[in-house]
Amino acid sequence: MTYLAGDARAFIAAVRRELRSMRRYPTVIVASLFWPIVLPGFYVLMGRVYSGNDPRAVAAFAARSGTADYAGFVFVGFAMYMWLSIFLWNPGTLLRQEQLRGSLEAVFLTPASRLVILFGPPVAYLWPVFFQFVVMAVALRVLFGIELSLDALARAAAVIVVGIPSMYALAAFFSTAVLRFGEIGPLVQLVRGTLVLLCGITYPVAMLPGWAQTAAAAVPTTYIVQDVRRVLLARAGIGAVVGDLGLTLAFAAVFAGLAVISYRWIERDARRRGTMGTY
Amino acid sequence: MMGPAVRTVGLTKEFERGRRTMWQRLRREPDRRDRFRAVDGIDLEVQAGEIFGVLGPNGAGKSTTLKMLATLLEPTSGEAEVLGIDVRRHPREVRAHLGAMLSGERSLYWKLTGRENLEYFAALYHVPPRETRARIDGALEEVHLSDRAEDYVERYSTGMRQRLALARALLPDPPLLILDEPTLGLDPQAARDLRERVRALRRQGRTVLLTTHYMEEADQLCDRIAIVDHGRVVALDTPSALKRGRRAQEAARLRVERIETEAVPATLEDVFLSLTGSALRE
Repeated sequence: MTYLAGDARAFIAAVRRELRSMRRYPTVIVASLFWPIVLPGFYVLMGRVYSGNDPRAVAAFAARSGTADYAGFVFVGFAMYMWLSIFLWNPGTLLRQEQLRGSLEAVFLTPASRLVILFGPPVAYLWPVFFQFVVMAVALRVLFGIELSLDALARAAAVIVVGIPSMYALAAFFSTAVLRFGEIGPLVQLVRGTLVLLCGITYPVAMLPGWAQTAAAAVPTTYIVQDVRRVLLARAGIGAVVGDLGLTLAFAAVFAGLAVISYRWIERDARRRGTMGTY
Repeated sequence: MMGPAVRTVGLTKEFERGRRTMWQRLRREPDRRDRFRAVDGIDLEVQAGEIFGVLGPNGAGKSTTLKMLATLLEPTSGEAEVLGIDVRRHPREVRAHLGAMLSGERSLYWKLTGRENLEYFAALYHVPPRETRARIDGALEEVHLSDRAEDYVERYSTGMRQRLALARALLPDPPLLILDEPTLGLDPQAARDLRERVRALRRQGRTVLLTTHYMEEADQLCDRIAIVDHGRVVALDTPSALKRGRRAQEAARLRVERIETEAVPATLEDVFLSLTGSALRE
């Protein structure tokens, strides 16, 4: 078996192993049902309180955001928040746990590429992300009466699929930082907070100050949220967002490259300093 | 394979002691950290088919040596070959042919079954799919865990987890196994069973390089022993030759019985303490 074929099989095994581990904690599914509804739900209800259901308030919102569907707007924003949370917390935590437990050393004793453990397990987390998206779409329909056409959902799905590599690469890059600094909590708060602020989960990016809008243009999450809102809520076609989709793919390449470089550097440094199994 | 299973020449590993803060780095202050040699020019030759033990007090450099051979650590200087392959130049090839058990039971996935753990590692070891099932069954049988293969590892005893870690090391069907303190923390029965498994590996023609703190274990198990202290090999021979050695002769033990003194034969522990001292190494 060539190294490439062996690594491809190892990659699949790493995804499978993580899916198996996830299955062994079925109570996590309860949180997956709860938070995707409650978090955006709070904001939608609060928005109604502030606006008093006045059509002028909705018109003002539409003028700034491009859609009068404020519930859908907030839900799409929080879908990104949940996606970011899952992708920042889980792969990084997993890598750190491997380091603490000693299994990272055991994995590094095998001939498999050391990138397998960096890029393999995050794939498994696409499943809870998908599940939460479905929960949110159902909640929008059932609780807020927002009807999403199949056509719009298909376009949103296409934007999300194209956005996956950049989110995935971002998660991998973030995981390497966790491996280096050891503490995931403060890092997640910092990175997630910054990205969430920039991509506008409850407000349009246009509301940010100029310098923050410039910064927002440098992260893929901004484009994904913005484009999902456009195709899902403003009924834009894929053609209208194709440039942004290309940009998110470019971000994927950049972040994946950064992840590989920093991971190799950290791994080399750990081999030199003997810190692979330390915590 | 021609030549020794393991060969090291002047193998050295230096570490930095202390820390250098980010502020110091940013200010480009000179690096004032101490450097110390955890392994200080070790020369070893482990012959194919033998059980070779590395004995030493805490911090003597045993695990560091093994980690360099297993490519987890980069040597500072010196040469090291595993099965004739240079560990620096071809680390991946070394790992493909080496079975290693370095962090024992901690290194398993407790929420997976024993078999699932091995399936995962079989893929990481690039075991061909058609052979995977047979390799896993063989490894489980080798460590007497076939009947518990479908249980979660969290339900295993410490000894069973150690055996599963050994089974994992057997997955690539390695001619050489490196075991770092394989019986650490095991009760006498489990330790004895694991030692028997190690002997079985030698009977199969495999080479075993292990570290241990237990003198009796080294005495019973190893064909040859290197006693390591302060990163250097201070003695290397068969257990019986070490015990017969000049310094061993000096190690006499007084047995007070019927109010008379009698010199008894030196044990390996006597040899070890005479070479490395009896002070605590913490």
